[in-house]
Amino acid sequence: MNREIISAFSSAVVNIMPMLGISNIKLVNERKCGKQIESTGVIGIIGIIGELSGNVFFAMDEACGKKIASYMMGGMEVEEFGELAQSAISELSNMLAANASMILSETGKMIDISTPTLINGAFTVSSIFSEVICLEMLVEDMAFNIYLSVKEN
Amino acid sequence: MENLKIVVVDDSPFSVAMISKILEEKGFEVVGSANSLPEAVEVVSALKPNLVTMDMTMPEADGIECTKAIREIDPNLKVIVISSMMDEEIMRKAKKAKISGYIQKPVDGDELSLLIRRIMAEEELFVELEQLYATAFKEAVTDTYNRFFKSIPAYKNENSLNSELVSQGITVVMGIIGKYSGRMILDMSVDSAKKVACSLLCKDNLSEEYVINMMGEMANIIAGNACSMLNKKNEVFGLRVAPPTVVYGESITISKLKLDTVTSVEADTVFGEIYLNVGFNRSECDE
Repeated sequence: MNREIISAFSSAVVNIMPMLGISNIKLVNERKCGKQIESTGVIGIIGIIGELSGNVFFAMDEACGKKIASYMMGGMEVEEFGELAQSAISELSNMLAANASMILSETGKMIDISTPTLINGAFTVSSIFSEVICLEMLVEDMAFNIYLSVKEN
Repeated sequence: MENLKIVVVDDSPFSVAMISKILEEKGFEVVGSANSLPEAVEVVSALKPNLVTMDMTMPEADGIECTKAIREIDPNLKVIVISSMMDEEIMRKAKKAKISGYIQKPVDGDELSLLIRRIMAEEELFVELEQLYATAFKEAVTDTYNRFFKSIPAYKNENSLNSELVSQGITVVMGIIGKYSGRMILDMSVDSAKKVACSLLCKDNLSEEYVINMMGEMANIIAGNACSMLNKKNEVFGLRVAPPTVVYGESITISKLKLDTVTSVEADTVFGEIYLNVGFNRSECDE
């Protein structure tokens, strides 16, 4: 997968998270993984069409989802991963994908993104493409992974 | 513009008179005006306008607070901010409050008229999509089942409630992109999905991988055909689908999503119950 694509998504996290008040972000590892992605609790799915087509998945556990949602709600305590927190993480997925699409457009790659779909529970996501890139990140020392399942058209 | 009722909100009676005069000269009907938040609430409740022009700075509340208050009366009310100030902070707040457009004072009549016509044309287009999409997606499901299995699903419990969904076992998420973005969800039990796949491939037993591929392919056909039907009705929709994502497992809860229009429907098929959920969002202000 093209470096520009991968770096657009990792840069999106570095750009967006501090706007929410989260500054402790690290890219720990980048690896190829298969098409089956085991959920650790919460996954935001966004469809991509344009010069790239595919999907991007933002994966985290509920504790990480609650922590990010709390930041997004101005420090409000989030006890359970309920409707408000789910809505916040949907919005986060949207913001990250939109920022990545903006970065890509600056390099000449135009993409459009769908509305996000947020799923939680114990499940496996099967991506359409056999090769998926996983960006393993730490947000406030909690695992936040981005799975890129896209191909250039 | 036919049947379009406009209310002008501005704390300055002079500005109200100026903006009203410009709108009337351009052929629009100004049905009322307000100089404060309480007045705006009263006028919008009583006159039910389609569009409001909103001043940004008023004595007791800003234009964003006032927009929120009148949207509680009518969530679909179109609001155009008319203000002498236009900076990034105001634009950011306006975008967040889903303001339809922004004009700087002094108001240019042609610019305002063009903006209103564009906003209302967008609204008509979204209403057209709202009227068409549920039928198109159901028709695509019916065609797919009819073509592959010579059987027609029986639809039931159609509703437009935006609520959390609990999967029956296997679900496919299809992102939709175009003039409006959205998504389709197709859900059924693993047992139903196996029966569908076995019937399609004329085999008694199939691996999980085949079943997952079949679900993705079937959802892709349904969403692709439905979007083609909608694009044929009006090519401006320009809808396209992102590749399918299949989700399966012991517990799958799909969150309630912020969608401006959503339709859920269940259907009894020869292979058990299926669940279809389709929704779209209006495009946001990008001015």
